[in-house]
Amino acid sequence: MSRIRWREEPREQFELTPDRALAYAAPDGAFALYNDYRSRDSVLIRRPAPVLPEEVDRCWREQTEGASPRGLAPRETVEGYGTFTFPYGPISMGVPESGRFDVVTYGERVLELTPLGAYKSRRALPALAGLPVADAGLRVERLAGNFAASHAAAFLQACESATQTPVGLRELTVRAVGQELQRIYNHVHVLARIAEAASQNVGAAQSHALAEEMLRLQGRVFGHRWLFGAFLPGGPARRLEPPDRPHVAAALHARAEEFDELWELFLDSRTFIDRIQSTCPVPRDVAVRWGAVGPTLRATGVPWDDRLRIPEPPYHDLFLALPDERDGDALARLLVRVQEVRASFLLLEQMLDRWPAAGAAAEPPAPPVEPGRGIGRVEAPSGDLVYDVRVSDGRIVGVAARSPSQANWPPFAFGMRGAVFTDFHFAFESFGLVFAETDR
Amino acid sequence: MPSWIEQSAHRGLLTSRYPRVPASDAEVPTTARPPLAGPEGRAAGPGPDRCPVGAIEGVAVDQGRCIRCARCLADGFRFAGAVESSSPSRAALARPAASDAGPDPRRAPLAGLGRSLHLFLVDVGSCNACNLELLALANPLYDASRLGLFFTNSPRHADVLVIVGAPTEEMAEPLRRAYEAMPGPKAVVVLGACGISGGAFRGNPGLRAGCDELVPVDLYVPGCPPTPVQVLDGILSLAGRGRGDR
Ligand code: SF4
Ligand code: SF4
Repeated sequence: MSRIRWREEPREQFELTPDRALAYAAPDGAFALYNDYRSRDSVLIRRPAPVLPEEVDRCWREQTEGASPRGLAPRETVEGYGTFTFPYGPISMGVPESGRFDVVTYGERVLELTPLGAYKSRRALPALAGLPVADAGLRVERLAGNFAASHAAAFLQACESATQTPVGLRELTVRAVGQELQRIYNHVHVLARIAEAASQNVGAAQSHALAEEMLRLQGRVFGHRWLFGAFLPGGPARRLEPPDRPHVAAALHARAEEFDELWELFLDSRTFIDRIQSTCPVPRDVAVRWGAVGPTLRATGVPWDDRLRIPEPPYHDLFLALPDERDGDALARLLVRVQEVRASFLLLEQMLDRWPAAGAAAEPPAPPVEPGRGIGRVEAPSGDLVYDVRVSDGRIVGVAARSPSQANWPPFAFGMRGAVFTDFHFAFESFGLVFAETDR
Repeated sequence: MPSWIEQSAHRGLLTSRYPRVPASDAEVPTTARPPLAGPEGRAAGPGPDRCPVGAIEGVAVDQGRCIRCARCLADGFRFAGAVESSSPSRAALARPAASDAGPDPRRAPLAGLGRSLHLFLVDVGSCNACNLELLALANPLYDASRLGLFFTNSPRHADVLVIVGAPTEEMAEPLRRAYEAMPGPKAVVVLGACGISGGAFRGNPGLRAGCDELVPVDLYVPGCPPTPVQVLDGILSLAGRGRGDR
């Protein structure tokens, strides 16, 4: 099992091999999350196998074996005088997707909150078996539309790894550009939603406007506002060829300036910052124990990012600074996103500067037909996304995936314990959770 | 110190002038338009085989099934249909484009409601992109409130039920209840290939083939996802506000 190799340094010690992934896989395909790493204050955090702690294991079991709707986070029994369970959803006001939250409360305070999924399960992953890789890719990116680029990239990486197909630098750069654009869109969207919840009307409107501008830019560069099909063979891609690059660079520059101005103004709004400070805190030990990923994890001071885990082209020679936040609350998560937006603008600038020359990379040859199994792993806007794909004869045999939303439901549920009900929207939006990623 | 007011004034007017002027390419990228057979009126290659969702029959594209993947471009199809491609009839979406006198005359079930409509969103199994495209109508670049469109959080206040996603077994009952809770006159709009025909997930176990199996549908807006401009056009047509008199 070999991953795409660019340099000959050994990286076995970091590799998530299929065997290990298999050993760690929960029934629904939850994977080993991290190897050892150092937190910002240099505490070595060791994560022995099997990685999934008991509670999360139990939650997965319930999720795969239980009847629907199923809990997405571990539940405890909370009892006391006057407590009752208030089901919120599945068509829940203010959350644009369908899903349910069971809230145990005696009034204002949330004693426990359990998200329940499966309402919009499209049974899509099992249905991929037997499809040609490209057809399956079209369905994979439609699992979660606002993270389509990450899903497509991880899925393709897994397929290419399974079939030992080499991929050119240009192709990888195109994928990275798509993913960084979508990361900016999603982070700005989260900012807009939080501003909306805080009744920061002008700020919310301006952030939504910026998010829309990002969608239009994606539409212009890749021919589709949500990047569907952008990376697939035969897709609609207009792929950033000259003379489009100067235009894109100028547009990105303007967007980056708009974002900086916008954030300055948010920082001036004491009421906004106060509202999200210490809202829905997730301590580091909880984040690590329950397998949080992405901004949720990084907001607790753990500098773990898949783009830096095994730096692969094009990230291997780009500058990427990781945010430094430790408080683990909604504000810290938002600050992480803000810094990541800036980092992504910088990454895009670097990638456009060093666009691989036409001759540097051949288009991928026809995929070999040998059967195989591969892992694809990328840093999606909400966190670490892993695909495990088995391919034979150019067709999918089976697909398992662990999405960032799956990993982040339990920390969200934990953070809501003891919150008041009006915290809900700030808390929910700050995690970037998407039911569609869990209900596949 | 700059303020929100200064900053807003500095950015100026951003709002789209649609529908008074036609949609720009920035608003509707190429592949959001309906694919049609090439100028010769025929497919140049193995169109029907290549389509991943079986939307092509001969040279006719079932716009309600098409997920806009652009693969049929290689067979001589072009993304050339009208931006405004919604239709009150499912059959009309599947009809060969060149075969008859153009699109169905649009019905306007909410024509009596004047200039204000309240929308209620129900997601029955979407990928979230259709949801976000609908909600994008509220952003300043579209500012749907200038056209009298508002989002509401309760079906009791809604005139239009907007459904997105492939209808799952689990959402059938909540959807029916939301529909029944709405006061009349009411209209139902389905956004996206998923809700119209199952889209990319057509045929998966536990999915209905379309939302019209669950509630009566007044308007289908094809696309994957339809762009905000296309959604806007569809919803305005429900109130009898054709292009030109908005
Ligand atoms: S664009 Fe539509 S009609 Fe053409 S191949 Fe894709 S799904 Fe089929
Ligand atoms: S029609 Fe397309 S964009 Fe809309 S929910 Fe379905 S897959 Fe997503």
